[in-house]
Amino acid sequence: MKRIGVLMLSLALVLSAGLAYADVHITLLNTKGEIQAQLEDAAKAFSAENPGITLDIQPTPTGSSPFQILSSVYASGNAPTLYMGDTNDMIQFADKFSDLKNEKWIKDSSDNFEQVTTASGSIVGFPFTVEGYGMIYNKAVLAKAGVDPSKIHTTKDLEAAFKKVQATGAGALVIAPMDWSLGAHFLGIAYSLTAKDQAGLNKLVADFKAGKVDVSKNKAFSGLLDTFDVMKKYNVRKADALAVTYDECPALIGPDKVGFYFQGNWTWPQISGFATDQKGFGFIPVPISNNPADFGNSGIPVGVTKYIALDKKQNSAAQQAAGKKFLEWLVYSKTGQDAVVNKCNIIPAFNNVALEPKDPLAISIRQYVAKKQTLFWINMPAPDHWSKVGASMQKYLVDKIDRAGLYAEIQDYWKNVK
Amino acid sequence: MRTDKRRWEQTKNALLFMGPSLLIFSTVMVLPFLFGILLSFTDWNGLSATFSFIGFGNYSEVFHDKVFWSSFVLTLKYVLCTVTLTNIIAFSLAYLLTGNLRGRNFLKAGFFTPNLIGGIILGFVWQFVFSRVLTTMGKSLGWSLFATSWLSDPDKAFWAMVIVTVWQYSGYMMVIYIAGLMSIPKELIEAAEIEGASSFTRVRKIVLPFLVPSIIVCVFLTVQRGFMVYDINLALTSGGPFRSTALISMNVYQTAFLSQRYGPGQAEAFFLFLVVAAISLTQVYLGKKQEIEL
Amino acid sequence: MSENSMVTVGRRTNAVAGYRFQKKLGAAIKLAVLSILLVLFLAPFLMVLINSFKPDAEIILDPLRLPTSLRFQNFTVAFEKMHFLNALYNSFIITVASVVFIALFSSMCAYALVRRKSRGHTAIYLAMVASMIVPFQAIMIPLLKIYGSIGMLNSAWSLVYMYIGFGTSFAVFMYHGFIKGISLELEEAATIDGCSTIEVFFLIVLPLLQSTTMTVIILDVLWIWNDFLLPSLVLLAPLKRTLPLSTFYFYGTYTVNYGLLLAGLVMTIIPVVVFYLFSQRYIISGITAGSIK
Repeated sequence: MKRIGVLMLSLALVLSAGLAYADVHITLLNTKGEIQAQLEDAAKAFSAENPGITLDIQPTPTGSSPFQILSSVYASGNAPTLYMGDTNDMIQFADKFSDLKNEKWIKDSSDNFEQVTTASGSIVGFPFTVEGYGMIYNKAVLAKAGVDPSKIHTTKDLEAAFKKVQATGAGALVIAPMDWSLGAHFLGIAYSLTAKDQAGLNKLVADFKAGKVDVSKNKAFSGLLDTFDVMKKYNVRKADALAVTYDECPALIGPDKVGFYFQGNWTWPQISGFATDQKGFGFIPVPISNNPADFGNSGIPVGVTKYIALDKKQNSAAQQAAGKKFLEWLVYSKTGQDAVVNKCNIIPAFNNVALEPKDPLAISIRQYVAKKQTLFWINMPAPDHWSKVGASMQKYLVDKIDRAGLYAEIQDYWKNVK
Repeated sequence: MRTDKRRWEQTKNALLFMGPSLLIFSTVMVLPFLFGILLSFTDWNGLSATFSFIGFGNYSEVFHDKVFWSSFVLTLKYVLCTVTLTNIIAFSLAYLLTGNLRGRNFLKAGFFTPNLIGGIILGFVWQFVFSRVLTTMGKSLGWSLFATSWLSDPDKAFWAMVIVTVWQYSGYMMVIYIAGLMSIPKELIEAAEIEGASSFTRVRKIVLPFLVPSIIVCVFLTVQRGFMVYDINLALTSGGPFRSTALISMNVYQTAFLSQRYGPGQAEAFFLFLVVAAISLTQVYLGKKQEIEL
Repeated sequence: MSENSMVTVGRRTNAVAGYRFQKKLGAAIKLAVLSILLVLFLAPFLMVLINSFKPDAEIILDPLRLPTSLRFQNFTVAFEKMHFLNALYNSFIITVASVVFIALFSSMCAYALVRRKSRGHTAIYLAMVASMIVPFQAIMIPLLKIYGSIGMLNSAWSLVYMYIGFGTSFAVFMYHGFIKGISLELEEAATIDGCSTIEVFFLIVLPLLQSTTMTVIILDVLWIWNDFLLPSLVLLAPLKRTLPLSTFYFYGTYTVNYGLLLAGLVMTIIPVVVFYLFSQRYIISGITAGSIK
């Protein structure tokens, strides 16, 4: 059955190519929906520069589980040549991915970030996007309120800044209440401060599962949530905190209506659409204590959020070679670099890429990277942490549960996770 | 010879007539159903090629899972509300629409429209209505009820789902009730009208007894759909805010595909099957009994 | 005596006239109430339609206001972004193929089950009836596992195959009920005339089943055309998506662009409404017939 299918397909291919030559057709499963159009353009440019190779970008819906999509495409024998996913996806499917450790770009990748290394020592992920998040501030609003963002190092400093901004008539900040934002990113800071690196995270998760962690005694968690309490208090949408949608927030921070917004640099395209000043934004760390010297008060989480893996099970040698070519093209060709940095607005993880990002949030992240003031980016090795603990954070946001209740739910989550 | 040939002929015909249906039915329904029961006793994680049997482990995990129970209780509440409201509204519409009324067919067709469209699309339509249209109305008219989106409050989001479901199915059930009402002899109602029986008495004494079969069908259909609803849940609230509106189908889906825990997911699904089966059977039994008594 | 009867008659005519008047008034009130209800019922669609012509900013500002101009930009962009024609085609092929096979296979199966009585056949029939209460969720996970492991996912034909499997029991049930009531005479006569069983079925029985076939077709079209969960699990490649799927993914990708989303919704609703306009009577009678078991 399958063989007949393959036969028919190749026949159709040959026929469609007018019996001239068979194209190598490769696919990239894109799990970053917001750059779908840009990637499609990049694919066209790549094919133009590499005749004989066509690249098809397959989109996935935001909010769907990449894990499920990937399991099904493998089950059905339709694996894409290239797959974009996070650290956990890379590790879970590692036996299906090619080892990339001999690729040229390995040497040029920035040592700020860890490679995805499997137990057997192979490297399975091409670091595609560097992202960071923190407290985004609007320069114009802060200037008007007389706040210097570089002087905010503690929770008290932040509260003082909120007050000053409010005094000018603008809103202090807006909190985006999505479960992924609160669960994975905001609370991720506490995990990051406790774990510090991948090995630390593995140990922390193991301790959590064993019930050995008392969250209420963890300074990072309690300090971070103290700050969150302050944020809740000054949230412009305090009255209906959960009704705020992801697309409303940029409409507040962009046109100078609020001073601060907790989010990552991926939201720049939306902010840009509303911004009065295309340069007037930056990040400050989310403070976690009232001692400026404490670890975490000066850095923001930055990490490789999407890697690209190369399938070795269901794609032909020619397809795999073409896939490698595309990855190299992204790092070394002028058009590839332009596509990544300027078109997709991505901060590359490679030292050789000299192009400066244009957006102020990416620039701000680059500064933190340059100063080595970055925190370890948490990729939680539990697939539903963002959703379940994110739901607990939402309850805490609207005071459905108190601090003790939140701690209990976090510990409960880990106790029940397998 | 002759009988042999006839035998062969018969077998051939049986294969020809029932073969395709039976083959597909057993590979799509029966086999997965049995395999599912088996699966719920294993620790399969969705990826590995092997799995081992763990007895009732998945079931005991599901029964100790607070999230599962709260979603189950919510589903019961949802089924109760939608079944009652849908049937009351559908019956009222049907009752108003029988009798000589100008534009009856047009009205009937209009009320039926939401049923033609899939739950996903209806969910998105209402998501827009709840989060944009009603909030704007609420703000400009000063109605605090609509000032914030219903979908961001757990209780109101629940009622939003109920409203959309009732809205969708009323038209469908209305059609069934109309058919039931048409089967009532006209003279009977007219006689009662002229005798001066109040419309309430008329409904209670004449209409309802005749409608028992229609009521059974409608309740059966609404109960079944209520337990299995997924599309509207997904498109309207996606289970939010904070997972407070994830009905049981969504819970099964999330346990299996989001948390990647297939065994417990299948255990939840099988539990859902038992509940639906028990309720359906009880209801059919009660209905048949009442039908006979009348 | 005669005077008395005159009075009674007079009273009666008065009563009848009053009754008629009351009835007319009642009808008018009824019509008014129902019309208002209908407008409320259809208002959500109206809201979507109105706003699908507006640019985003106008929608966010005031969704209740009528569009200032008829601009079709949202439609043309959405049409392209959601691969509309492609999805429409997929939905069409999948629905038609599934429904045709369900009707064909099930009517044949039901015929055999009714006409050749045996314990085995009764058991098969009962199994099919019982399977009607199994919720899809109970089958979903193993179904994916089984068909995934033999590489039968991500194809429209696998989906059609599954629909036939899920649609069989109800259709067999419907046909079974109807065939039971058909008298054997015609068939026997045809057999004596030398018709084979297949000829008897296709030439004599199948035409008699027309009304049931219509019911099965209508109910299955509505179900398959609008189904979401099963195709969302089976069909993965973007160009294989059906309309509800492509709407869902379109929604996930463009959450910020209301105008685009609403235009997409309007476009998915249009084919259904067109279908409805042409087959309204069949749909209503099909549902009525499907519910009376």
